[in-house]
Amino acid sequence: MRRSLPAATVVVVGLLLLLDYVVINPTLAALADLLLELLVLLAAGAALAGGVALVLRHWTEMVGRRADPLGSVVLLVGFAAILIAGLYPGSSGSTDPAVRWLVAALLAPLIASLFAMLFFFLLGAARRGLALRRRESSLMLAAAGVVVVLLLPIGGVPGDWLATAASWTLAVPIGGVFRGLLIGVAVVTAVHATRVLLAVNGADE
Amino acid sequence: MPNLGELLGTLVGLIGSQFAASSLRLGPAPSIAIFLVVLVLLSLVARPATRWTTRDLGRLAMVPRAMALAAESGAAAAFSLGSAGVSRATSAFDRLQTLAALPVLGHVARTAARAGVPLRVTANDAVAVHLAEVTLDDAHRATETPERGERSRAEYVGEGRPVAAAVALTDAAWPAAAFVAGGLAEESLLMLQATADDADWTSAGTGAPSQAGSVLLSGDGALIGPELYQAPSDLRASGHDRTGVLASNRLILAVIGLVLVGSFAAVAAGVDLAGALAGR
Repeated sequence: MRRSLPAATVVVVGLLLLLDYVVINPTLAALADLLLELLVLLAAGAALAGGVALVLRHWTEMVGRRADPLGSVVLLVGFAAILIAGLYPGSSGSTDPAVRWLVAALLAPLIASLFAMLFFFLLGAARRGLALRRRESSLMLAAAGVVVVLLLPIGGVPGDWLATAASWTLAVPIGGVFRGLLIGVAVVTAVHATRVLLAVNGADE
Repeated sequence: MPNLGELLGTLVGLIGSQFAASSLRLGPAPSIAIFLVVLVLLSLVARPATRWTTRDLGRLAMVPRAMALAAESGAAAAFSLGSAGVSRATSAFDRLQTLAALPVLGHVARTAARAGVPLRVTANDAVAVHLAEVTLDDAHRATETPERGERSRAEYVGEGRPVAAAVALTDAAWPAAAFVAGGLAEESLLMLQATADDADWTSAGTGAPSQAGSVLLSGDGALIGPELYQAPSDLRASGHDRTGVLASNRLILAVIGLVLVGSFAAVAAGVDLAGALAGR
């Protein structure tokens, strides 16, 4: 009973939404809209609960001086700053200039700095990949090396030859692998979605 | 109070009126095609295990050993459910990867529970965290180790993909075994490297083809593209099932090899290998 109720709910809701996609019926459409609204409300409630749990956890860590109290202080101050900017009397919410300034002047540069480290992390990942001595990693790095050579900014006849080879490599072998992965992922995604929809679970270990 | 006949008549009338008020959105052929696709998918999902298991996907067979080593050293294990979440504003394709990672989490959680290793699960989505908590509870119930449940926990790290990567980078924990499975995007390399650098053993998986390179370079084990969805089916299969599938796969390969050799011998040298084998 504990397992069958959620499974039955998933099956009924999933089939109703599928039926609404195929059949035009006002009653069915109203029911599907209601279910989707409930889903949005559920996600919003869960996000709110997550935010409250995050604040409570870091408040407890800050008061109890456990883990990283300084980090907890930074998180709580940042949380409060965004909330105050978006909720003060007369604020226009997420489009308020104060919120926009916080995002543009603080959040965006922080994210940009984070992603600026990607190049250095790529080098670290290449070193780690070689250290692990995995065949797939070595193959990928070798292919990456070939692509880098093909994309070298060289002029003249060798440059033209390299550019043609680079285009062919990207369009044929690399494109083929990428398309194969996409097709494989699409098929298993559909199968997995059906498994979830019908709550199909095999015998566990 | 209406009698049973009237009730039945009302019900039939209601269904009839609903049919009368309906029309097919896509026409007869596409509608039948959609239901046929569902039928085919049903026949596919009826399989308890993947058929063509030829290797240990994501090196997940090493999880018990990694947990045993973690138990010996007294360290914890870490599991990240990626950065796509379940109720976040990302594509359904990305979010489904989080659900596909849950059986992998279940496998890791059960192994950790048996070995007595605390498991810390992180996600940047509240619904995913709740699902992880349920998975952890289920693992301790299944392994009859409820007294160890308090030591494992699921944590919400905040909203956003960069947040998930930043938390992984600044995390001071030093897990013995680390796992990252689920939807990943441009932050994948940061998250995977931050996790892998601290751990003695790692396994990473994502269904996003564009992030395959990051997964290949970062983990001891890698689940790339369809493998993320395929691995849970193999995990569910018992030892006997896996052995049976592996043995029959080898037999099939041997037969294919024999057919190819026989065909080559027949074409090149006129040798009737099939006749000799069949005693003709």
